[in-house]
Amino acid sequence: MISFVVSRLLQAIPILILVSLIAFGIIYLIPGDAAVVIGGPSATPEELEQIRRNLGLDQPLHVQIATFYINLFKGDLGRSLTLGIPVMDALIARSPITIGIAIYSLVLTIVIGLSTGMLAALNHNRWIDQAATLFALLGVSLPNFWLSLVMIVLFSVMLGWLPTGGYIPFTQDPIGWLRTTTLPAAALALLQAGLLTRITRSTLLEVLNQDYIRTARAKGLPEWIVVGRHALANVMMPVVTMVGLVLSVLLSGSIVIESIFGIPGIGSLLGSAISNRDYPMIQGGLLFVTTALLLLNIVIDLLYTALDPRIRVKGR
Amino acid sequence: MSISKRLVFGTGLAAAMLASFGATAQDQFTCPNQGGDLIVGLEGAPGTLDQQTATSSAVRNIAMNVFEALIIRDENMAPTPDLADEITVSDDGLSYTFKLRQGVTFHNGKPMTSADVLASFERYKTVGVSRSIMTSVKSWEAPDASTFVITLNEAQPTFLENLSSSTAPVVIMPAEEAGKAAGQVEIIGTGPFKLAEFVPDSHVKLERFAEYVPGNALPGLSGFAGHKQACVDTVTFRMLTETAARMAALETGEVHIVESVPAISMERLAAVEGVELLTLDAFGLNIGYPNWSAPPTDNLQVRQAMLAALNMEEIMEAATDGVFQLNPSLQFPGTTYFSTAGGELYNQNSIERAKTLLAEGGYNNEPVVLLTTQQITTMYNTALVMQAQLQAAGINAQLQVYDWPTALATSEKETTGWNFFFTHWTGSAAQGGATTLRNLAAPANIYKPQDPAGDPAYNAAFQQVQNGATIEERAAAFAEAQKVTFENVLAIPFGVMSNVQGIRSNVEGFKPFYNTRVSNVWLQP
Repeated sequence: MISFVVSRLLQAIPILILVSLIAFGIIYLIPGDAAVVIGGPSATPEELEQIRRNLGLDQPLHVQIATFYINLFKGDLGRSLTLGIPVMDALIARSPITIGIAIYSLVLTIVIGLSTGMLAALNHNRWIDQAATLFALLGVSLPNFWLSLVMIVLFSVMLGWLPTGGYIPFTQDPIGWLRTTTLPAAALALLQAGLLTRITRSTLLEVLNQDYIRTARAKGLPEWIVVGRHALANVMMPVVTMVGLVLSVLLSGSIVIESIFGIPGIGSLLGSAISNRDYPMIQGGLLFVTTALLLLNIVIDLLYTALDPRIRVKGR
Repeated sequence: MSISKRLVFGTGLAAAMLASFGATAQDQFTCPNQGGDLIVGLEGAPGTLDQQTATSSAVRNIAMNVFEALIIRDENMAPTPDLADEITVSDDGLSYTFKLRQGVTFHNGKPMTSADVLASFERYKTVGVSRSIMTSVKSWEAPDASTFVITLNEAQPTFLENLSSSTAPVVIMPAEEAGKAAGQVEIIGTGPFKLAEFVPDSHVKLERFAEYVPGNALPGLSGFAGHKQACVDTVTFRMLTETAARMAALETGEVHIVESVPAISMERLAAVEGVELLTLDAFGLNIGYPNWSAPPTDNLQVRQAMLAALNMEEIMEAATDGVFQLNPSLQFPGTTYFSTAGGELYNQNSIERAKTLLAEGGYNNEPVVLLTTQQITTMYNTALVMQAQLQAAGINAQLQVYDWPTALATSEKETTGWNFFFTHWTGSAAQGGATTLRNLAAPANIYKPQDPAGDPAYNAAFQQVQNGATIEERAAAFAEAQKVTFENVLAIPFGVMSNVQGIRSNVEGFKPFYNTRVSNVWLQP
């Protein structure tokens, strides 16, 4: 087990180097820099040059790249051009916010997706099944920025139930946290819940036709035990795979959602960094997110072994 | 040798100004109501509040409620003392003496002295984005704690005008902060509000600075100057970059003030009980400029044909959804430097004239690339309509659309691949005079002349705008520079854009301006 984890961690290093190199290439190939954003439309070229000098952007590209990697090997991701603070500090400060919303959204995704998928499978070819399929289709089709705005109009402006945006930390006011994170978490969850509904439905339909389910029913077990204990256990494998995918999509989706709701998480940090051409922050943010996803994949692999004793990882 | 001096700003002048307002010291603004948290929904999300190093409006909206400068612009963009109480200029025009306002302390409790002013000026000379305003400075000194003296190499009549520019003001900070690099300073000013919390991409919270000592030169707030008071306990600037979410927050009463209400939302918001809309008629100039280096816009007659083909009313209607003024000028109507010189070439809407000019210029259907961005709707719509109008005149106009940083960087760094770029002049048009014209003069030369020196006729007029002894001389020179701009097509102003802000009806004292000001604004109980 330990050697499996160590080997996966070692495999992650070249991936991270490759990601940072590709990011460097893409960032520097597109014109425009942080100076034009800080300067605003009215800034004169002379003023833009001064901003570039202040930010160190007047250095040749190879000097900037070398500086980045030298600092990286010292464990320093550099300093954000627009925020003026170390990239690592910004990432550490912002990540609990995004992780909190991602977990909330994941819970909503699992609750909505699993229950709708199960309802659909257990009522195969009835109106509930069709309604659930329609829900799943809408969930995967609606863009989440559009859904967010519609939810703001419905739940904030028309019904007045929830605020239009903003963020209150959980430690400061748990109810306030729930009020400010429900709309963004739901907007993120509905897309994923649609996917999960489809997977749960199709897997459960397949499992329910297996011999061992027929045997369980023949034994006279109540239906909830047949489904809850025997069928659902076998549905969990694709669901766990799905959760890994869901979390990665939640991270990328948070770029849009956090900007709409004014939430200061990793998503809005990366979104601003990209539109502001804040190179160190884009680099640091990408490395951070890539690392998080690589670690997540390792955890998912380990979860497989816990859920299915037939799977044994090498080295165990 | 004693230097004869003349008072340009001071207590005598302040008294005269008060008299002209029909006011006495007793009439100075006092808050009718105190307390509460004023919440402002911002369009931009600044990453820094280091005012010396940023020219963007998003930074000024917050930072200019925290910081103050020696001299700044008033409501009509006239230079007005702020942290200076008195300004005298030697008769030879070389020496400027600033007597500082007494009793002023920084937000960290430290009294402000001339040492802080000197250190702030030193910092601006190194990292300040508009530090070219200091090129004529020979030296500065702080002979005593309340006096700051600037000596110039040669007399420059527009020195105070330049120094007071509020694009990136020379704000005063404690000397111990002034040694720090761009973006690294603690946000400590002398203004009526002090910084309490800054969470980038979320909000900025300011709180009343109880020890604030207001200036008495004017009875109330005027521009960034005047008698400022913090009426509310705190101000929360929420960064609501998504327009629909910002408007929803105003509608539900979660914010008291929002910036930039789009035309599409005006009718709906105006019908909401408890919401009022305020309009700043002249907010920005919708403008574009050709690339003189790339064919076919290196050809004067092609550029003149482009100008001749344009129907500004159609362009501005599409760009602003009808909230605009036609304006044959590089300045806003009613301002000091406003002129309509060359205005006969504005809004010609003449396809025949354009075709004649194209034929005379030997135009052979070369592509004219209009460089723009979809991120700023006004610019994009302007480009779309202009493309259609140019095509109607027989010009092979093509759109090149990038995101804003890419489009701006392309126009700034590339001399090929584009022929016309779209932008806005907000702050620079509002400041007036040389500040407006600087973009078209060497070394900026945004129109990319093949000879880096640029258009000689324009440059001569620009020099006079900078150095004319009297305001009349400078205004006449401005008119000449503008005439050259139209004739040789250095730039094409399309019209003036308005800015509509929305407020809740319990907000009192708020006046729309180029930037959001929260001093002298109170909430009804």
